[in-house]
Amino acid sequence: MANGFFTDTTVCIGCKACEVACKQWNQLPDDGYHFTGMSFDNTVHLGASTWRHVSFIERPVPLNGADTGFSWLMASDVCKHCARAGCLENCPTGAIMRTEYGSVYVQQDICNGCGYCVSGCPFGVIDRNHEDGRAWKCTLCYDRQRDGLEPACAKACPTDSIQFGDIAELKERAHKRLEILHEHGMREAYLYGVDAASQPGTGGLNAFFLLVDKPEVYNLPPDPEVPTIRGYQSWKAAGIAAVGFAAAALVSALFGRSAKNHEG
Amino acid sequence: MAEALPGFVEIPGGSKAPMRSDDGRNIDPQLGLLLGDAAGQKPLASREDVALHSEIFPHVPSRQSTDSPSYYGVPVLKQPVWIWTIAAYFYIGGMSGMSATLGAAAQLFGGREMRGLVTKTRWIATVGGAMSSLLLIQDLGRPERFLHMLRVFKISSPMSMGSWILSAFSAAAGGAAVLPVAPRFLPRFASVFAPMTALCGVVAGLLGLPLAAYTGVLLVQTAVPIWRNPLWSVFALCSGTAAASSFLELLPLNANEARAVELFGFIGKVGELVFAKQLETEVAKVERVARPLQDGFTGMLWQTSKVLVIASAIVSLAPGHSRKKRILAGILGTAAGVCVRFAYFYAGKRSARDPRATFEQQRSTPAHVAGPI
Repeated sequence: MANGFFTDTTVCIGCKACEVACKQWNQLPDDGYHFTGMSFDNTVHLGASTWRHVSFIERPVPLNGADTGFSWLMASDVCKHCARAGCLENCPTGAIMRTEYGSVYVQQDICNGCGYCVSGCPFGVIDRNHEDGRAWKCTLCYDRQRDGLEPACAKACPTDSIQFGDIAELKERAHKRLEILHEHGMREAYLYGVDAASQPGTGGLNAFFLLVDKPEVYNLPPDPEVPTIRGYQSWKAAGIAAVGFAAAALVSALFGRSAKNHEG
Repeated sequence: MAEALPGFVEIPGGSKAPMRSDDGRNIDPQLGLLLGDAAGQKPLASREDVALHSEIFPHVPSRQSTDSPSYYGVPVLKQPVWIWTIAAYFYIGGMSGMSATLGAAAQLFGGREMRGLVTKTRWIATVGGAMSSLLLIQDLGRPERFLHMLRVFKISSPMSMGSWILSAFSAAAGGAAVLPVAPRFLPRFASVFAPMTALCGVVAGLLGLPLAAYTGVLLVQTAVPIWRNPLWSVFALCSGTAAASSFLELLPLNANEARAVELFGFIGKVGELVFAKQLETEVAKVERVARPLQDGFTGMLWQTSKVLVIASAIVSLAPGHSRKKRILAGILGTAAGVCVRFAYFYAGKRSARDPRATFEQQRSTPAHVAGPI
């Protein structure tokens, strides 16, 4: 069994209740107070102390069927809890683990702050709090799930843009929703990271999205890939080269020894 | 989903307390402690951090361009959090690893004349290994937990493999360096120490190769656009070899040793140049990805390192066997080795900060790109 999120961005109203609920439940520290000028977004990005982030996109193009010449997209971003998670596969201490709910969880009593997960995440989700020294990210409210409750963000979402549940069921719901949108003429709507077929690089996301524009617009990578995929290839290249350099060292030693015949 | 529990939990002593999730505040009802998952996270100490954040606030208009979109130019990836000690480690780790490899070869096939070189490489490996550990621990967010690195043996994580390789390498190199002195103190076991020393030397030499190479694999296995090329692992080996021989050239060597070191270094330098060119060509397939190697501070370092490698190789090949000539080649090669590590390390940081590099690289192979075309 795996639980996850289906975030339907078409019904997000940008209220940031998810951001607030997450901060409050997890007792996350503040991450500074800035005015960015980026539409209504003063949170900027996910990070060590921001586990939900609502992005606001002002576009000079209308949504299909509208005659405004303008559209405003909102989307609540979160850790994707990838089926193949770069942070988890890169973690050298075993601090990052897969829980019984299918989520990816950082054990804070183990993490030594090496920072390798930060570079391993193709979504730029996990980050190290440089004051605290450890890596932090969304836990999919592991503690609330243990108590049989849904995560704080999903609970707080007033429009059900964030839906929590069993992934198989969420997928079914998402496909149904997509069908309805397509019927209503919103042909540009699509599901992002819903399964391994549509996003083989991550094996599908446990927190997937319904989007209406290119992923880049929401600051999501168009074709993310777990870096471990290139591990075998680079170890192999290194192995072949290592044999070559072992040979080079032996040849050099023999070559050096032969100097005696000419000079010594 | 787990079945909902009743709204109260039993606490020792037979009484009941409201379940913390039901309370909504996530606070221990008995002790008033904060129980949130991030309650232990240290808050940022000063508002200087805000200035750090503001680096990423770009000065772009709210309205997006539709042809090459990004989210206000905000980086999609998190920039690697590693500090300069990691770049320094790439140099010292690679240099001491390949020194040990040449030392093992000299031990096995170099004969009597190269005994001095063998001893030197063993001490370089020992001191280099210790310095490597210190540099790596310095970078940790929680340095006191450095031993957690040996908590698991995880093949999927190059950093886990690297930790084990470095630990074993340091132990073997230390053994090879120290054991030859041991008979002075324990003359009775002299017959045991000799083969043990030889074994340690060979083991260190064999582990030196993956020690120099894994730092490349470590970078390949990140999401950073410029580091994603598998050839970085081969490049790390080549530049490790060049760095090892350059450092050895700085030390007094006899004619035999000098010849061995010069040939080893020449192979490394040629390899470094060939793979530098190859890497440049491959990353340039997406114009934006190649930029950190072409312009700015990182580009300057990268180009400088190539010039230094060529200069070092030319000095090395020039006729004559004077000590001065070797030292000049050694200085040029060492400078090249340090330069190139800092170049590709900081190029990676810069690459991660550029969201369009990530987006355009992924769109350049459109097989699985998501969303409307």
